[in-house]
Amino acid sequence: MLNENELWLLSFYRTSEISGSLFFGRLARSMKPGPIQRDMTKHFADEALHAWYWTSCIEKLGAQPLKLTEAYQDQYLVAAGMPANLMEVLAITQIFEKRVINEYARHSRIPDVDPVVRETLDKITADERWHIEWVRKALGTMEADYGKELIEKTLKRFWQADRQVYSKTMKEHEERVQYLLNKRSISKESQKNG
Amino acid sequence: MDRDAVKIKIASLLRQPPATLRDETALTDLATDSFALVEIVIELQEELGVRLVQEDLKDVKSVGDLIRLCLNAGHGQVFSKT
Repeated sequence: MLNENELWLLSFYRTSEISGSLFFGRLARSMKPGPIQRDMTKHFADEALHAWYWTSCIEKLGAQPLKLTEAYQDQYLVAAGMPANLMEVLAITQIFEKRVINEYARHSRIPDVDPVVRETLDKITADERWHIEWVRKALGTMEADYGKELIEKTLKRFWQADRQVYSKTMKEHEERVQYLLNKRSISKESQKNG
Repeated sequence: MDRDAVKIKIASLLRQPPATLRDETALTDLATDSFALVEIVIELQEELGVRLVQEDLKDVKSVGDLIRLCLNAGHGQVFSKT
């Protein structure tokens, strides 16, 4: 059975995957066909599937997803500003996907995480690694157009914005993960003591 | 490319009749959400063959601002490297 914090976190992941899928889907629709549009199509299909994985995971644990108004991505656009071209979209995606992988890895480290949640985290993390890889390669092909220096500068700028988002606007997410980590370690400690 | 041509492109991306687009209209009033605005700006660059970076959009608030920016941007070149 999911507690309030777990349900909120899984629902937050689900909402963020839905937002990612919709954004990349719309972008893929407006782009000219080519290798980047191809990989972006796979990317948004993955994110849609991840949203389904979370939906299914929550249901298997006897709950219904919460309707949340904000996703990770909304907070990013506020802090990092609006990307203005495809290179900037991919740069912010690269930083964002790295953050997502870190957060999923952190959730995996919660002791006694439910096997259904762990299985979902593992399945999604494998896809997220590919997302980072295709975006890294795509940014490499853009060096001829934008210049390596500008791409590196853009990545650095979004990396700094990511740290700001994380320290300021991801407070609720952080508090809920921390609560689960603390709660599980207290319960382990009391089991050990008798 | 002249001002009217840019305005027609923007109107078609926003799915609005060009006559209803006023220079002073805020872009945030036209786009349904911030993701829609990103989509419009990127599609506009593909359509017009110009390239913008985030810095260029810093002071773009209205339809008129966006038209002026597109007219000043170089074709196929990064407009600003700041």
